[in-house]
Amino acid sequence: MSELPWAEVFAVLALAVALYALSLPQGGVSWWGLAALSAALVLAARAVEPSWGKVVCLDLAELAAVALVWTAGTGDAVRAARRYLWAIAPAIVCTLAGQALIGHAVTPPAAPVDKIALCLLLVGFALKLGLIPFYFWLPAVAAAAPPMTTALIVSIVDIATFAELWELRQAAPWVFTEHAAIWMAVALLSMGGGALLALAQRELKRMLAFSTIADLGLLLTGVVAGGPVGLAGAQIGALSHALSKVILFGAVGLAERRIGEPVTLDTRGLAARMPLAGAAFVIGALGFIGVPPGLGFAGYWRLYVSGAQYGGPALLGLLFLVAALDLLCYVRAIHRVWLGPAWVAVNGAPASLAQATLTVLAVGIVLLGLYPGMFTTAVGFAVAVVK
Amino acid sequence: MMDPVFAPAGVLLIAAVLEIVLARVLSRAAKGWLACLAAAIATLPVAAMAARVLRGEVLTATWLVWDAGLPVSYRIDGLSVLFMLIATGIGAAILLYAVRYMEHEEEGVTRFYVLMLVFIAGLVVLVCSVNLLVAYVAWEVVGLCSYFLVGFWYKQDAGPTGARKVLVITHLAGYGLFAAILLLYVRTGSFLWTDAGPAFSTGIALLMLVAAMGKSVLFPLHTWIPEAMNAPTPVSALLHSACYVKAGVYLIARMYSLGPWHPALGNLLLLVGCLTMLIGAVFAVAQTDLKRLLAFSTVSQLGYIVTGLALGTDLGAAAGLYYTASHALFKGTLFLCAGAVQHATGTRDLRKLGGLSAWMPVTTAVWLVAAAAIAGVPFTTGFVAKWLLFDAALEAKQVLVVFVAWAVSLVTVFYFLKATVSVFFGTGAPEVRAERIHEVALSMRLGMGVLGALCVVFGVAPQVLMRFVVEPAVRALGFTWQVQMTWFGVVTGSGAVGVTAGAAAVVAGVVLGAAAFGFARAPVRTPVMVFTGGDPLPEDETLGAVDFTEIAEAAFAPVYALDPDPLYLRIWRGVRDVAASTGDLAVRVFEEHPMPTVVAGAAILCAGVWLL
Repeated sequence: MSELPWAEVFAVLALAVALYALSLPQGGVSWWGLAALSAALVLAARAVEPSWGKVVCLDLAELAAVALVWTAGTGDAVRAARRYLWAIAPAIVCTLAGQALIGHAVTPPAAPVDKIALCLLLVGFALKLGLIPFYFWLPAVAAAAPPMTTALIVSIVDIATFAELWELRQAAPWVFTEHAAIWMAVALLSMGGGALLALAQRELKRMLAFSTIADLGLLLTGVVAGGPVGLAGAQIGALSHALSKVILFGAVGLAERRIGEPVTLDTRGLAARMPLAGAAFVIGALGFIGVPPGLGFAGYWRLYVSGAQYGGPALLGLLFLVAALDLLCYVRAIHRVWLGPAWVAVNGAPASLAQATLTVLAVGIVLLGLYPGMFTTAVGFAVAVVK
Repeated sequence: MMDPVFAPAGVLLIAAVLEIVLARVLSRAAKGWLACLAAAIATLPVAAMAARVLRGEVLTATWLVWDAGLPVSYRIDGLSVLFMLIATGIGAAILLYAVRYMEHEEEGVTRFYVLMLVFIAGLVVLVCSVNLLVAYVAWEVVGLCSYFLVGFWYKQDAGPTGARKVLVITHLAGYGLFAAILLLYVRTGSFLWTDAGPAFSTGIALLMLVAAMGKSVLFPLHTWIPEAMNAPTPVSALLHSACYVKAGVYLIARMYSLGPWHPALGNLLLLVGCLTMLIGAVFAVAQTDLKRLLAFSTVSQLGYIVTGLALGTDLGAAAGLYYTASHALFKGTLFLCAGAVQHATGTRDLRKLGGLSAWMPVTTAVWLVAAAAIAGVPFTTGFVAKWLLFDAALEAKQVLVVFVAWAVSLVTVFYFLKATVSVFFGTGAPEVRAERIHEVALSMRLGMGVLGALCVVFGVAPQVLMRFVVEPAVRALGFTWQVQMTWFGVVTGSGAVGVTAGAAAVVAGVVLGAAAFGFARAPVRTPVMVFTGGDPLPEDETLGAVDFTEIAEAAFAPVYALDPDPLYLRIWRGVRDVAASTGDLAVRVFEEHPMPTVVAGAAILCAGVWLL
């Protein structure tokens, strides 16, 4: 499958984050500067052909994201930023070293360089994406940072890293095919563990962080299984992930701003006070977990097909088991937090621009899911034009 | 140029878009009329398609490419037409009823009509699509509409609680269909059900069956439907009687088109069908809420339908499909009547209701017709459906099935008598009598009246429905048409002597009973002595229909223990506890001591790379 026009996607997401932050401030000048820098570096990385420049741009974007978390200024945020840095610094070293060793070769280098490179890449990408058991920074960042900071990290920086992994699958398939069992084990552990840990959370932002881990695990199965269907599924799934997570973190951010405290499972009936934010959360959540007609389904069915082709009915069963956990987790959040009689008082006026931004994204998720052909045709056309 | 076969779904979706675009311009009633008109217009091309299908055509067409390489392709046969007619025809009548019913809603009217229209369109796409993946999307769209409609009053407690149960049970069960489709694709490289062939194994059929059980409230996946009764009544009528629960029936029927069934699968389905009809009926007896009673009766009736289909014979298929149409008519009518009662009195509690026949004669009459139909009284569709089913089971030598179906019929009569007497006769509670009870608006009476009338029309002339709708559907599944039926449902084919004689005895009994009642000139309003097993009750204490609930609860106590909800709750709590324990462990190990975890994790990965 052709690669998605990620630069355009990230530009749209960055615009959405900016519009939201205009309406609901996420930080001061330093926040705006670092957010813009982080997004610009990701866009720059997408604009260039695979090279060291691309790799460095993405790594600098990660470091800018660390600084972005730091700007929140609270004790929790500083601690979270420190954790994030502890993960990102070795991750950058590992991935740079790994890529230097393989040099994007189509065939593996001589032993034991191939295995050393693979180990470095495996650990590096697992740290960057927050896969289990390397996820320690992500829940802390999600809980402590402003919602759009987390959305920018999860939807733009992380997905750009995932796109880099996807490109590596195309450029050097042996990295995945020769040790597919290890990659698949990491993917399944993240998928299952993330879903289970998401179900254990009471605070919504931490829950969203763990569901990110689970979803990245699922997307990784598509990359590992490979083939046109698996790779297409991983890309479309990543796109759905990026859009949904801006909506979900955005909706929770709107609620937190108006109730003045973190949203937990004990917060009840928010939709009665904030119907638009509630609707956005519901659509974002159902789209994210792959319920048709959300965009997530267009990615999920491909991932499931590639899973069934790769691992047979057993792997397919496992994928559905995790999907069931995701469903239980999000449905509980929807019904405990958003629906039912309002138990909470809200203050201040609704942030109209932020609401409008989330609404547009939610409508987009449904329209793209109802008619993914429109999107895939457009992508094919765009790729042809670029070529 | 779009093929006309896409017109029904197209009209409905255009109307849904218009509802959104004109939301600020149209009054609440106008929104209702628009929706009703759209459903009525959508029925016209369906009727035209029915005529072509009757001539033996199978209509095929392809529209846009829905996803890469996957077009929206229709293959319309008799089975598709049957379900489309139910969806659009009964949908139009129910939307007519909804115009006045929803007129008083302060908010959400646009949302309501959009969801209803998308729901009907989704069902149309589901039954027409030859592409199983598109059909699955339609299956889930229908499910999501149901979820949002059950949770329509989302600021209250009851609606969202019911909606949650609807979504969890039906969506999780739907994974069975999804997995089956994917496995078929992996085996055949095609999403078209016409390509399934030998790849349609018993395992895949079982997966599909799980999905159908969830949607069609078959035991033990039926427990969502009573909770779904917190929806507005038109939703209950359209979704939870006429259409939504029929999606699973469609899937079961369509499975005959996919490939041959293993006999064991048919036996399993028979068992599920019989258990469902029994348990639904026994649970219905215990209800004191009118809509919950109807919900459990839906469970029971779906058991009949699935039993017919599970017989796997020509007559069985005919019985199951005729019963499908019949049930959509009489149960839709009953729900609309229940809605009218709630609309007029503000309650659906059988312990409070009573005597409404004096104020609501039209509703009473329509209810009586539909209740007679569900009880299987001659000259109604229900009689023909039951008769055909008994005949099919006898022909298949499934005597036990006949006995169960017959016993459940008795229980059905019992709980419908209870409901009828409690609501429309006797005396209501003071707070209900204090209400200014009046007959519902004309359009509401028309909506339920049309459906009620059809219960009689197709009871008197069932051969019309058989010839033009059911026969093509049965033939579409690869069965031959063996029903020879004339006026009043009299079966004229060979082998039907026993059933015909039995039915004649029933009719004769009814006629003789009426004659004896007339000759005796019994005073109508004299209190009736009730045998209590001992001393007569004091004059101010009488046994009402609802009092029998307690007797039934005691008698059927072991059956009530079969409620699977406690088991589901235990599973959910177990999952939650495992998640909580894992969460605690993860915090202590991974989050509080990240560096050792990272080092150990990296070491394990490296060891794996080196060793594997």
